[in-house]
Amino acid sequence: MPATIDEYLHTEHFPHIWCPGCGLGTVTGSFLRAALELGLKKEETVVVGGIGCSSRAVGYLDFSTVHSIHGRALAFATGIKMAHPQFTVIVLTGDGDGAAIGGNHLIHACRRNIDITCILFNNRIYGMTGGQLSPQMGEGGMATTAPYGHEEPAFDLCRLTEAAGATYVARGTAYGPRELQRLIKGGITHKGFSFIEAVTQCPTEFGKRNAPKGAIAMLEDMKARAINAKKAAALPPEELVDRIITGVLHEETGRPEFAQNYTDMLTRVRNTE
Amino acid sequence: MELWHSHILRETIDQDSLLVQGNRACALGALDSGVRFFAGYPITPSSEIMETMARELPLVGGVFLQMEDEIASICACIGASLTGEVAMTATSGPGFSLMQEAIGYAAVAEAPLVVVDVMRMGPSTGRPTTPSQGDVMQARWGTHGDHPAIVLAASNVADMYRLTMAAVRFAQRFRTPVTLLADEVVGHMRESFAPELVGRYRLTSGDFDFTEGYLRPDMVREVHPPHTLGRKGHPHVTGLIHDDTGFPTNDPKKSEQFLLQLHDKVVHHRDELCLYDVKNEGKGRVCIVAYGSCARSARAALKLAKEEGLPVEVLHLYTLFPLPVEIIQAVARRCEFILIPELNLGQYAREVRKMAENWTTVISMGKIDGTLITPREILDRLEELIGKYESI
Ligand SMILES: Cc1ncc(C[n+]2csc(CCOP(=O)(O)OP(=O)(O)O)c2C)c(N)n1
Repeated sequence: MPATIDEYLHTEHFPHIWCPGCGLGTVTGSFLRAALELGLKKEETVVVGGIGCSSRAVGYLDFSTVHSIHGRALAFATGIKMAHPQFTVIVLTGDGDGAAIGGNHLIHACRRNIDITCILFNNRIYGMTGGQLSPQMGEGGMATTAPYGHEEPAFDLCRLTEAAGATYVARGTAYGPRELQRLIKGGITHKGFSFIEAVTQCPTEFGKRNAPKGAIAMLEDMKARAINAKKAAALPPEELVDRIITGVLHEETGRPEFAQNYTDMLTRVRNTE
Repeated sequence: MELWHSHILRETIDQDSLLVQGNRACALGALDSGVRFFAGYPITPSSEIMETMARELPLVGGVFLQMEDEIASICACIGASLTGEVAMTATSGPGFSLMQEAIGYAAVAEAPLVVVDVMRMGPSTGRPTTPSQGDVMQARWGTHGDHPAIVLAASNVADMYRLTMAAVRFAQRFRTPVTLLADEVVGHMRESFAPELVGRYRLTSGDFDFTEGYLRPDMVREVHPPHTLGRKGHPHVTGLIHDDTGFPTNDPKKSEQFLLQLHDKVVHHRDELCLYDVKNEGKGRVCIVAYGSCARSARAALKLAKEEGLPVEVLHLYTLFPLPVEIIQAVARRCEFILIPELNLGQYAREVRKMAENWTTVISMGKIDGTLITPREILDRLEELIGKYESI
């Protein structure tokens, strides 16, 4: 059993591709600390990424790892989980990867309530491809493909996944890595589809064009805007505009999990045929 | 493994009828060759394959999933394949188009996978219930980049069974996606189909004994070390160009070596992969080269031609890619004409022409009105050609 998170890392592949000040490493660290607390086994833990800076995390992790194709990590993960329900399956995805090109797979994975933990690194921009807009950017955001300001609103991904059927939904920020670690740990131990939105900073591509600029200012901003779900519940909606509501936002234990349901169906069918 | 233990087949035999539909035979071949994971999305004219898998797979403890689209379907299959499951999906043109990116991933990640494309008339929605062979070049080059491709073509119900088995075997042995092409007529036709008879079928220079069922064959030597998820060594799998450790590389030499190895592992084994059948071998001045439903018409045309005393032979191809270069060249050396009837505007004829034009004249007989090419149409063309030849 690993004693430190270094043992879950392919440090021989460092230096990593992430820019100075990037929050993706912080979020990955929270995931690894949660994994360490849970003692996840390298063979039986399959971590699947899509394509993007965030998905590149899988290339540094010493689990069974799959760097799949853009947007499809959850579809790969569904095949893996259904073939081997005993595996712990974790998906690392970005806001473009998970909410744009992969949005359909996201809602269907929620609907199935398949026992996969999906951590979506939300930096509100396409980092890997050089600063194009993301569906999570929101109105007024500037990007190479929104040079006059973006006109579209963003999803509230936590409400979206809850409505689609996810049975564990949480949000944390790169400013609060310990809270994030706790939320991710909760997601991995939850049996059913767990969605964790990790709000993180991209000083290079987002910060270049949008305020606040620079990693520290972005983290300070996250700190100022974050509010725990319990506290938020006591506030009127107008005071929650632009706030980042964190914590476990939804948890449900009664709903059947898909892989288990399928296995039960197999037993039923084979007994009656 | 016990063959023919499928429910549907047992029912059919119980009812004293051995009429089996092509798409069902494909599913049965998949089950008998060890496919235990199927994910798909309904589309005419392929849906009966998934419907059969939906019914049969749970009975043998396998996984069947109807996914949200074809991209999800093929990606779920690749995920399962990476854990060591034998996986297959089936679709038709529009769905096959959606799958292309993932087919390239399976090629680069060396994930064994069978994709069945029951072709309908295209492009776009086309004519869904109409046969076509319009996806031949897509099956070869549909995904981007230089990649290997193994493409088989079924011409009847028995083919749907045994070529599915061959596809599974090739996919495992070469660790690459294998495409099985059928067309609407082959998928939907019902033929009498006796399991014992399909058992031994001479398809190639080597004998395939399908009664042995599915054996996990040894991998060819050119395959990179396989990375099975959930096993010792907790591997990394990626669609990036990578070296033998499985991790990405930008090294020009290693990149070239990686891609050449993918290519070589298929091309170096053409002898094993190229399944074909020659009728009236060495007796023709014209050779009809055909595959899929057109091969049936070609065989029937051969009978008529024999009655009329026309010197004709038929080369029936079951493997379209890798290109059967030596086989085509042998025919090209001995025949004055090669005639290629196909339900497209000469997609495969262009390939044959490249291989054969030094020795012979290649004539494309393409048809795209959605009807089959009849034996009579082929015969007319043969008479015309041989007449031309006589008068020279
Ligand atoms: C099918 C396809 N389309 C486009 C791309 C190019 N591409 C690579 S990463 C990416 C966006 C990634 O954005 P996000 O998921 O937000 O991740 P980030 O890099 O910001 O972490 C795009 C568009 C691709 N690889 N594949």
